[in-house]
Amino acid sequence: MNKQQQCNGANDKIKLVTPLLLLSILSLYGCATIKTAQPQKEDPYENFNRSMFKFNNNVDGYVAKPISDGYKYVTPQFLQTGVYNFYNNLKNVNIVINDALQAKFSQGAQDTGRLALNSTLGLAGIFDVAKSVGWEQNDEDFDQTLAVWGVPAGSYLVLPVMGPSTFRGIPGAAFDTATNPSTYVGTAVNIVSMINTRANAEGSLKFINEAALDPYVFTRESFLQWRNNLATDGKSQSSYDLDLDDEFESLPADGKKKPADQTAIQINPVK
Amino acid sequence: MFFKYFKAGAIASTLLFNTVIVSAQENTNATAKQVVEKFQADLISVMKNGKQLGYAGRYSNLQEAVINSHDLPKIARVIVGKEWEKLSEDQQNKLEDLIIRLSIASYAHNFKDYAGESFTYDSEEETTRGGILVHSHLNIPDDKPVKFDYMLKETGASWRIINIIANGVSDLALKRSEYTSILQNEGFDSLVSKIDGKISDYSKL
Repeated sequence: MNKQQQCNGANDKIKLVTPLLLLSILSLYGCATIKTAQPQKEDPYENFNRSMFKFNNNVDGYVAKPISDGYKYVTPQFLQTGVYNFYNNLKNVNIVINDALQAKFSQGAQDTGRLALNSTLGLAGIFDVAKSVGWEQNDEDFDQTLAVWGVPAGSYLVLPVMGPSTFRGIPGAAFDTATNPSTYVGTAVNIVSMINTRANAEGSLKFINEAALDPYVFTRESFLQWRNNLATDGKSQSSYDLDLDDEFESLPADGKKKPADQTAIQINPVK
Repeated sequence: MFFKYFKAGAIASTLLFNTVIVSAQENTNATAKQVVEKFQADLISVMKNGKQLGYAGRYSNLQEAVINSHDLPKIARVIVGKEWEKLSEDQQNKLEDLIIRLSIASYAHNFKDYAGESFTYDSEEETTRGGILVHSHLNIPDDKPVKFDYMLKETGASWRIINIIANGVSDLALKRSEYTSILQNEGFDSLVSKIDGKISDYSKL
């Protein structure tokens, strides 16, 4: 296995184990149409969201994926990496602004250094020089800033083309778009950015397709957990310790129903 | 292929059962950290030989490692939430069996090759509900490390994994949302059919 293959393998691996990294941008997978019963409290618009999820899947299948596949076919890996690094470096402007808005000054100093280093020695961001000196990119955006300021996430929403979001995520995305330099460079650059984003989401989308029994619910839950983890800088562990022992007190230790239990129910009829 | 493998595997089930008992005894009194590190070592070992082993070989090698480190019966119970009580004993047994097979199959499918990855232990903490959360991360060459947190509960005399959290996303919470949604909206038979389909797909992909 040569170095490039190893890198690709490693990239695939991280995409496999962290399928959520790009779900904020795209959720272009459909799901089998199923009847929805009571909507979850965090998803009161489930019927609408499922329709939008299906729509996005169709857009992906007929438009985004073919273009992305073509891009990957004709673009050498080193160029794909350079394009990814270029747009990723521009995103550092958002990150630095949101560092400041969240009063993360030490982290902001490192992210500013990262932006400066990659924009100069990294030839306008084409090379991620900062990573090689150990400055990993932080992940900050305005939705997280709003969360830090105490704004609740609101209900889950699937937006046309944009994919998963929440009510809080809409102004968050608008602010981030306004503060990202690539927004002002021109339509052609933005189209390349979108194609590049879709190409990099391939591993995540493949993982969802392989792992999910219900891709809509899988995407919603992973998105909400991932965003919550980012907003709390990993401090929220509410979903880690799920244990329903309290709800199973009436059951034997192994949690299984026994015929005797069923009998007991039958012979205790009714007042 | 997967089911064919399982038929062949059934012949050796007695041997496997004995092996599991021996290994389970080896795990007795192991600390939560030791259980996690043993499982991670087994995983890396299978990844290193992933290509030569093929899917069936990886499944076979991981079967013991997964069963000995995870509390799969409890996981099966938790991921269907309150729906568990509505299932008959036969359905509960069927679901347990499927969850065990699905868990091993997904590991065998997803951890199929090796490119220099390694796990590093970070720390551990006790939770308010009597569990232990073991923090670790997966180092990936030329990429950001992935945080892997393992929630363990004491089962009998040993600690067992009941949840894995990758970069803040809880596998148990994710599955619970999915499985309860399918049970409520489509019923038990549909859930069984979907899980069976996934297991079958993993063996072919």
